[in-house]
Amino acid sequence: MKSLEYAIETRRLNISYGDNRVIKDVDMKIPKKTVFALMGPSGCGKSTMLRAFNRILELNKDAKVSGEIRLFGENIYAPGVDPTEVRKETGMVFQYPNPFPHLTVFENVAIGLKLNKLVKSRDELEDRIHWALEKAALLDEVRDRLKNYPSELSGGQKQRLVIARALAMKPKILLMDEPTANIDPIGTRKIEELLFELKKDYTIVLVTHSPPQAARVSDHVGFLYLGDLIEVGKTGKIFESPGSELTEKYLTGELI
Amino acid sequence: MKIRKPDLFQIITYPAVIIVFAIFISMLITFLIKSLPAFDMYGFNLYAKNVWIAAENPDNEKYGILAAIWGSIYTSIIAVGVALPLSIGYSIFVVDYAPKKVKNVLIILSDVMAGLPTIIYGVWAVFFLVPALKDNIMTPLYDTFSFIPLFSEPSISGFSIMSAGILLSIMVAPFASAIIRESYQMIPFKYKEAAFSLGLTRYETTKLLFGYIKPAVYSGMILAFGRAIGETVAVSLVVGNAFNLTANMLAPGYTISSLIANQFGNAFIYGHMTSVLYASGLFLFVIGLGVNLLGIYKLRRWRKNVEI
Repeated sequence: MKSLEYAIETRRLNISYGDNRVIKDVDMKIPKKTVFALMGPSGCGKSTMLRAFNRILELNKDAKVSGEIRLFGENIYAPGVDPTEVRKETGMVFQYPNPFPHLTVFENVAIGLKLNKLVKSRDELEDRIHWALEKAALLDEVRDRLKNYPSELSGGQKQRLVIARALAMKPKILLMDEPTANIDPIGTRKIEELLFELKKDYTIVLVTHSPPQAARVSDHVGFLYLGDLIEVGKTGKIFESPGSELTEKYLTGELI
Repeated sequence: MKIRKPDLFQIITYPAVIIVFAIFISMLITFLIKSLPAFDMYGFNLYAKNVWIAAENPDNEKYGILAAIWGSIYTSIIAVGVALPLSIGYSIFVVDYAPKKVKNVLIILSDVMAGLPTIIYGVWAVFFLVPALKDNIMTPLYDTFSFIPLFSEPSISGFSIMSAGILLSIMVAPFASAIIRESYQMIPFKYKEAAFSLGLTRYETTKLLFGYIKPAVYSGMILAFGRAIGETVAVSLVVGNAFNLTANMLAPGYTISSLIANQFGNAFIYGHMTSVLYASGLFLFVIGLGVNLLGIYKLRRWRKNVEI
């Protein structure tokens, strides 16, 4: 099947809050094992769209989704699909680092595994947690502090802890909602470097309001403006010769 | 150079502060002074023995309020134990499930119930709650579990430690649930999102998030205990008012506050009883003070540490 080349595919995706349409007829394909940047000015609907990819959007009762979103060919909005199953396959990292403050570093990474019963033994759990922390490039910094609480970590470390928490579940897709928006430059660089490693195994969808970041880390980029997908394609191509005047304006900073 | 004028408005608030402090101190002093004769007479036995002999000749009077202390603690523990699941369930429903309009109604309802005059609860309990508990809970408990010391003797009238405990739980639940609900509502949305993004179910998420507000739940329990132990009128109507030092919650008992309320009116007839009742009040004063301080301290510390 051809559609299996893509990790995520949307078909006539519409999202609204009450009468307010925030995503309008979006058709988009995100190839596997790449970093796909979803960029646009604030309020353009990019975070909303990202939250539809793991059905976390429905925590907001006003949000209505119509159309299709296919993860590896399967429509996650088809009747009978259990949202918790969708979420197990799609890890998410948020704009504000949100490790659970009452759990230790270790427990934060373990919690999803434990509650979803994804590991069989304590040894397996420990192995998986070390593996996830290693993948998130955090293990060396917290090796001796696994029993400490995340309040001791820097913002960048917290964010990588949250990445480890998501990776521990071995998702296929990693959704990142402006993961460096509240992180200092050094932390930002570390996370961006991490993306290059992670895309070998995962499909990453990165929401960003910063075109330079999209240029640095992504392979493909989609530009959303007021709920419309203006343009989508290879990052290099779009940054060199944007196909739309709006995109050009956005990239040159004329559109905020 | 201008000399800074004293802030008059600030000064006129002083009397209010001073009055509050003065009242608190004078209460403590009153209780201490009035208790002294009882301490002289009975020493620590006053709190450690269960005896109540009110004789006309003061030399024959003997008092020890251990049964009332026990009853106060016992009924309050039952109250907190029953109120806790009630208030947690109520809070979860109000915050997570109730539609907006229902939510407001439920919040107002529980606030109103927290503020009702306690005699209302007492009178309602005498005519409804106690008989209902006796027929539907206490008798079956005795019939089935009489081998457990908690239910070892049948309840004759229904007026018992258990009735008082359950009534208290109904009275303190709105109060505890307000504290729990507010804390639960304060949890930043980002943690809820995080939990759901890991594929957790609603139940698992709620459980995880309650771990986060555990300190607030504890302080809610402690403050509810403080309320329960001080409650007087309603309890004295249903507790049975008997000096029983027993684990059997189906038996009638006494609490410190109901003891004072029942006996104070005629205490002046006896030589030492008034002082004994003041000493009982002092005990309650100290416990109430300690429990409330602990609860408030824990709640404040949690609210300060909560990450937004």
